[in-house]
Amino acid sequence: MAYEPILTSQIDQPGSSTLDFYVQRRRGYEGLRKALTLQPNDLIEQVKASGLRGRGGAGFPTGLKWQFVLKDTPKPKYICCNADESEPGTFKDHVLMERNPHLLIEGCAISCYAIGAKVAYIYIRGEFYHVQQILEAEIEKAYKAGFLGKNILGTGFDCDVFVHRGAGAYEAGEETALIESLEGKRAQPRIKPPFPAVAGLYQCPTAVNNVETLCNVPLIVLNGPEWFSAIGPEKNGGPKLFCISGHVKKPGVYEAPMSTTLRELVYDYAGGMLDDRPFKAIIPGGSSVPLLLPDQLDTPASFDGVQKAGSLLGSAGLIVLNDTVCMVWLAMNLLHFYRHESCGKCTPCREGTNWLSQLLERIESGEGRPKDLDLLFGVSNNIVGKTLCAFGDAAATPVLSTMKLFRAEYEAHVREGRCTLPAEWRAKHPVFAGH
Amino acid sequence: METVTLTIDGRPIAVPKGRTVLQAAIEAGISVPYYCYHPGISIDGSCRVCIVKIDKMPKLQTSCSTVCTDGMVVHTQAPDVVEARAGVFEFLLVNHPLDCPVCDKGGECPLQDFSYTFGPAESRMDFPRRVFDGEGVKADVDFGPTLMLNRNRCILCTRCVRFMKEIDGDAQIGIVDRGHGSEIATFQEQGVHSLLSGNLMDVCPVGAILTRDYRFKSRPWDNPAVVDTVCTFCSKGCNTSAWLKGKPEWAKGSRLIRMTPRYNPDVNGYWMCDIGRFNYHWIEGDQRLRRPMLRNGAALEPSAWHDVQSRLRDRLQAAGTTGTSAVQFLVSAHASVEEFFVLKQLLDGVLGNDGMAATTVTWTSSEKPQPDGAKLKVSKANAPNINGARDLGFHVGAGNEGAPDLSRLRAAVENGQVKAVYVIDPGPDGSLGDVSWLIAARQNGTLPLLVVQGVLMTELAAAADIVLAGAAYVEKDAMYVNDQGRLQAASLAVAPPGEALDDWRILVNLGRSLGLTLPYDSAEDVRRTLAAAMPGTPYAEADRQVFTRPVPARNWLQASNPSERWKWDFLYQDLPPVKGHSVQMEGIPAPIAVIPLKPVG
Amino acid sequence: MSFHPQMEYAPAKFHKSARTLAEQGPAFAYTPENQARFDENVAHYPPDQRKSAVLYALYLAQSQQGYLTASAMSHVAQQIGCSAAEVEDVVSYYTMFFTKPVGTYVLNVCRTLSCALLGAERVTEEISAALNIKPGETDPTGTFTLIEVECLGACDRAPVVMVNDDWHERLGPDQVREFIENVRTRGAAAFTGCHLHKEVKA
Repeated sequence: MAYEPILTSQIDQPGSSTLDFYVQRRRGYEGLRKALTLQPNDLIEQVKASGLRGRGGAGFPTGLKWQFVLKDTPKPKYICCNADESEPGTFKDHVLMERNPHLLIEGCAISCYAIGAKVAYIYIRGEFYHVQQILEAEIEKAYKAGFLGKNILGTGFDCDVFVHRGAGAYEAGEETALIESLEGKRAQPRIKPPFPAVAGLYQCPTAVNNVETLCNVPLIVLNGPEWFSAIGPEKNGGPKLFCISGHVKKPGVYEAPMSTTLRELVYDYAGGMLDDRPFKAIIPGGSSVPLLLPDQLDTPASFDGVQKAGSLLGSAGLIVLNDTVCMVWLAMNLLHFYRHESCGKCTPCREGTNWLSQLLERIESGEGRPKDLDLLFGVSNNIVGKTLCAFGDAAATPVLSTMKLFRAEYEAHVREGRCTLPAEWRAKHPVFAGH
Repeated sequence: METVTLTIDGRPIAVPKGRTVLQAAIEAGISVPYYCYHPGISIDGSCRVCIVKIDKMPKLQTSCSTVCTDGMVVHTQAPDVVEARAGVFEFLLVNHPLDCPVCDKGGECPLQDFSYTFGPAESRMDFPRRVFDGEGVKADVDFGPTLMLNRNRCILCTRCVRFMKEIDGDAQIGIVDRGHGSEIATFQEQGVHSLLSGNLMDVCPVGAILTRDYRFKSRPWDNPAVVDTVCTFCSKGCNTSAWLKGKPEWAKGSRLIRMTPRYNPDVNGYWMCDIGRFNYHWIEGDQRLRRPMLRNGAALEPSAWHDVQSRLRDRLQAAGTTGTSAVQFLVSAHASVEEFFVLKQLLDGVLGNDGMAATTVTWTSSEKPQPDGAKLKVSKANAPNINGARDLGFHVGAGNEGAPDLSRLRAAVENGQVKAVYVIDPGPDGSLGDVSWLIAARQNGTLPLLVVQGVLMTELAAAADIVLAGAAYVEKDAMYVNDQGRLQAASLAVAPPGEALDDWRILVNLGRSLGLTLPYDSAEDVRRTLAAAMPGTPYAEADRQVFTRPVPARNWLQASNPSERWKWDFLYQDLPPVKGHSVQMEGIPAPIAVIPLKPVG
Repeated sequence: MSFHPQMEYAPAKFHKSARTLAEQGPAFAYTPENQARFDENVAHYPPDQRKSAVLYALYLAQSQQGYLTASAMSHVAQQIGCSAAEVEDVVSYYTMFFTKPVGTYVLNVCRTLSCALLGAERVTEEISAALNIKPGETDPTGTFTLIEVECLGACDRAPVVMVNDDWHERLGPDQVREFIENVRTRGAAAFTGCHLHKEVKA
């Protein structure tokens, strides 16, 4: 734990969100100053060389994403910052925007310069209104200080950053759905291709990047790609924020290199299991990824490491589960989420999430039938790979993963006609609304 | 045109660049199901049933959204495609009421048809269905003045939403709620108020959007014949299909059962307006003239044609002796090219050079409020053949927009200068504009003789001395020239009722009785002469226009969803139409200006 | 508009939909301040993309009136230059818009996994019991509305409750009654706000 936080350095200091603090204590806007002396293409090359991978969930190389943004077009280009942070178990962007907002603002400005955009929209989820207020106040200060607006730092580069408030939709975190929502429509994904890099916001070339991704950009420009890639394992370089929640003593956001193991994150950073109860499983990347078991805790918390272990790092939302958690209940809880958040555009997701949710409620309430287990598998598999966006796969994952790892619990529910692992922290009189 | 060659199910297929895999498959006659795709509106990719396997792509792809590239290898019948597709069909039907026996779409329903072919044998769903507005027919709720909506049947393909946004130009339909609770809706349930609303029934691939006009009136298997024709309610000339219900002639009710648009990319695309769609009831209505009539005192009495013709000749000759301008013709622009052509020869023969001056062509004009962005704009002029009349030398003024000025004729009639007015109007009531002055002139005696050749017992006809029963636009093979100058053929769908005659024949009979040689025994004769008389013009093609006969729809294939006609022509030919039957299409003439039917292999 | 002479083109005579509609409400227009705010916000987007401001426009209308009536939606449609159906479409999609009156304090209890692991289900039950309302309902005094929402993105401070635009974090089931009483007596001052914010300041 010798690692010194970079993205979240000094966030516990009073006034850490202010422009003065940023400029005086964090070498604020020096990255922008340096970036504006470079050619946009060189900037993209630097980000590519750094190996920065998107922090929103997919881990796609950011430099490549920018490179794909159509250059040869008379249309304006846009940066959309994805601050919709809605993946259950994820709360890292919140910290960055609240405690280090100028890092994001600077990242937006540099990114705009790199892809040739003049406007960045920060799409922030509607529930983060208190964060939005901080962000907007700081953006205004950045304008006044000449870091945003017209002729930035005398270089002739113009850049506007606007905050766009969402209104309650998980699906708005999908990049094309975010664009649709920004355009004032329901947050439903678009068919790809065309990808946003070609026809995104207002059918113009657009790069959609996560908050944490953009926050890394000024650091790469300032310290060089080699510095960045040297942090953490190969191809998984750079500082990383981990969100740890659930049954741990000290839940929170922790910054660490991606060489850190899940065990270190749970037991060292987050202080170990709550009430020292036994560890049962962990969801390592937000609710949409498969669970990992105790014997996989020594997996490095990197994109490639977690994938090798059979799950995904996703948005690095680690949800820790102790021995009181019923896995049927867990799947039911998450499918309630997915049913509620399914946008309803494509058939398998719209009908499938509801069906799965109904089945899980039936099993959890003790009315499940033996054939329901096969049906759960069947319906889940009919969703996976058939939907318009990744939501369908995400929704089926909790079912498929818990059934694979904890099938005995499902069978016990059906056999005994009750939840075999009721916990005292759960509802005393659960309401099964789905069917 | 640049083409790309791809392979679908082992068959090499060359298509123009830019086509999607689904379009290529449809054109090649390979069955791929789809709902959200419609060739006239934007691609959505949401229904997911058109998924196919494409080599070198990691997941199954929606063929509607994948553009063909050279060398692409597509599989539509691979085991994983078949299984995945069946899975999507199971999802589509988990909340569908399966009330096909009472659903208007039953028998011509893409959901029904494709589910039989591609869906699973049975559903594993055992939870209660989602119900929106009630069970059964209670689920049919108001959806504006022309439509009803059944949300239980809806599969949320959003074709209607996209139609309103993209074609109508006023996005009156949206989706409310989200996820499994989604339903299509208008703002505050106000319903769809649009001149193009009827198209929503056509685009709906299930029985969710129904027209009030057709609802519960017929079933696909009761409509044994369909005729390709052209709408004549405005100068646009939308290509349409007239659907005929099979019934004995003596049975109650009309034979015309609905009008639907017929694809013509140059005129109306896939669409038509509600006027042309719903305003057909007058053709077989109670006001329809079935026999010629002669005035006997206060009453008009049905008479035989030979009596009427001799009376007509005598009275016209009597009127005509006092001066060439004493007989005036008032002709609706609903008259066809053939009728104008014969009329012109009649006038030339009887009145010589004064003939054209003695003729007034009339029509009405009305604003049809439509959003600015509407892709199908309905013309203001409510008549199909103004350009045809102009081309044949009749005086119709410069533009087609405003209604013509009848004041000169009116003044002459009211001054008592006119001894006879001969009206020709094969259009619906009101086609002539305001003729109250004409009725008044006849009733007060200023006008000694009024002859009306028409199709309805209008107030004008009721005031006439001689009434000649003509034929409405679906009762004859006739040509019209739309506002683009396009000569179009409208086919006979139902025979004129009773003793009513095709209008050109009435004029020929009149001419012959007046001693002219009008050598026409059929409409083809008229068109042949017209073609020869006007070389180098579009009319030179008049004798080559194709008039279709009613297509006998012996099975659901030919009586299926009309907006999907182009699809059956291509797509369904390799499918058994009804289990155990075969398609019989021999002897069906290929219509012009539609995608031709291909012989079944 | 009657363009069809034969068919009744008049008020519908069949069945009414069972869909719950937003109430029509009194005539609605932005206050001058809100109009100015809207005009300022809509300028963030290209001139031909006014629709982008629809969420903001709806928030404004909701803040002005407490919830969205059909009149308010029509006004927003007019401001944006789109159809009212498109506005209703958006309103119904997003969870943060209300089409019926809500209490002074809207208690949005997060029910998703991380909060549930630490007792969120019990929190909802306790609030339900304390106020004698079910999720989705407003108490008779019009003070509280209880809503179960999905993940609020504060999983490390579970269970979390969003109250209007403010937050109350780490609300254990056994603290619910005290919390309710606190809100009744102290109003918004009873909320913890964002812990993160406060902890850092301390």
